[in-house]
Amino acid sequence: MRRRAIAALLLVLSVAMLTLYFRETAGGAVHRVQETSLTVISPLQRGAARAIKPFRDAWHWVGDLFHAKSENADLKQEIAKLQLDDARYLTIQQENDQLRALLAIKRGHIFANGTNDGLRLIPARVIARSTNVWYSTVTIDVGRSAGVAVYDAVVNGEGLVGRVTAVTDNACQVTLITDQQSFVDAMVLPGGGQGLVAGSVTGDLTLQYVDKSQVVKVGQDVVTSGMRDSIFVRGIPIGVVTGVAQQDVELYQSISIRPLVDFHKLDFVMVVHK
Amino acid sequence: MNVPLTSPSLTSPPAGSRAAHVTAEIGRLVVALVAAVLLETALAANVRVMGANPDFALIVVACVGLLRGAEVGAGFGFLAGTLVSFVLLEPVGVNSFIFVIVGYLAGRYAETADLQSGFAPVVTVFAASLLAQSMFAVTQFLLARQVPFVFVTTRVIVPAVILDTLLAAPMYVVVRFWMRGEGTRRAYQTP
Repeated sequence: MRRRAIAALLLVLSVAMLTLYFRETAGGAVHRVQETSLTVISPLQRGAARAIKPFRDAWHWVGDLFHAKSENADLKQEIAKLQLDDARYLTIQQENDQLRALLAIKRGHIFANGTNDGLRLIPARVIARSTNVWYSTVTIDVGRSAGVAVYDAVVNGEGLVGRVTAVTDNACQVTLITDQQSFVDAMVLPGGGQGLVAGSVTGDLTLQYVDKSQVVKVGQDVVTSGMRDSIFVRGIPIGVVTGVAQQDVELYQSISIRPLVDFHKLDFVMVVHK
Repeated sequence: MNVPLTSPSLTSPPAGSRAAHVTAEIGRLVVALVAAVLLETALAANVRVMGANPDFALIVVACVGLLRGAEVGAGFGFLAGTLVSFVLLEPVGVNSFIFVIVGYLAGRYAETADLQSGFAPVVTVFAASLLAQSMFAVTQFLLARQVPFVFVTTRVIVPAVILDTLLAAPMYVVVRFWMRGEGTRRAYQTP
């Protein structure tokens, strides 16, 4: 009887905390405790991320290798030998590629309009990832002290990664554009059809609310539209159109997008502070 | 030959050593709690196999429930779930709600299971992971988030349950080694 009472009490407490969490504002007590917790744990996450990185890279290389096997068995064997012989070199090269891509952002190459004037770009490293599919988030190692603020956009050398949703002094949480509660105002190029890029629990992206009168074709690029008061600057690449469907009963087109960013291999990113 | 009905382990310890015993027990639980939260938030987040992350905290909660009974299991689950939610900036209350149930049920199961066989931890973690993943899905549904049935079943629940079950035995050995001392409360010992 006492055991049941204790368990019931703890369950009620859990529900009470859940209710409080959703009812309070973003600056409420529970949210503040969460930010403090992240401040405490982020150095450990940073260390763990660095310690695990060689293993993650090796795992990814194995995955890539498995893919290549179906295309060319001989080539795969050669690559496998090279990768196993020099895994460290490949890891460093991968980091180098990502850093060079970030440098390209600094030089204004990532943005469609060719400039990033007036923006502050803050380089960062991913130190933790969400542990379930329900929340597509990562934690990066820069925070308020580096000038990061909530709603700042986050990019890497490939395109838009997400937006900052919580900040502490030395770390922040980034909600990826694949999160099911992420919506990004976007447009299709060329053509200019505008809509909202929405994430999903499956990790797929869709461009929603594009009027049927707009002509959208497979292979076209999707970039941020940067509408007035948007949190994203104009012209950040998001993805490529992979499918367009129209149904008589729907008011808008159904457009599938393949994101440019490989979210499984995120390491270095850049926070775009307006 | 008459055999005494009460085993030595059921006799009360001397009053002086009881406080030290309780302190040591709490210390072991606190260390296990911190380790579980660190594993979940610093390590599991960087490890993804078959599309799933290992749920170290859940496994430790199940192991503590098995080793220390329903009350401790439920309390440990509540604290572990709350801390994990705090650190991962997830809605507070979801993890603790699920971990309380896992810790409590693992403790109840331990009262009748044969823990020496090595089979109990695997069965417990398998059931706990299946229960937790299903409850996560239901909770997300209640929070008005997308829960596509086929995707959640094949790409979320199954990989997570397999991964957690594979980790059950080695993690149980580690937790049992750390929590050595007071044994599991059996059915005849609980009020």
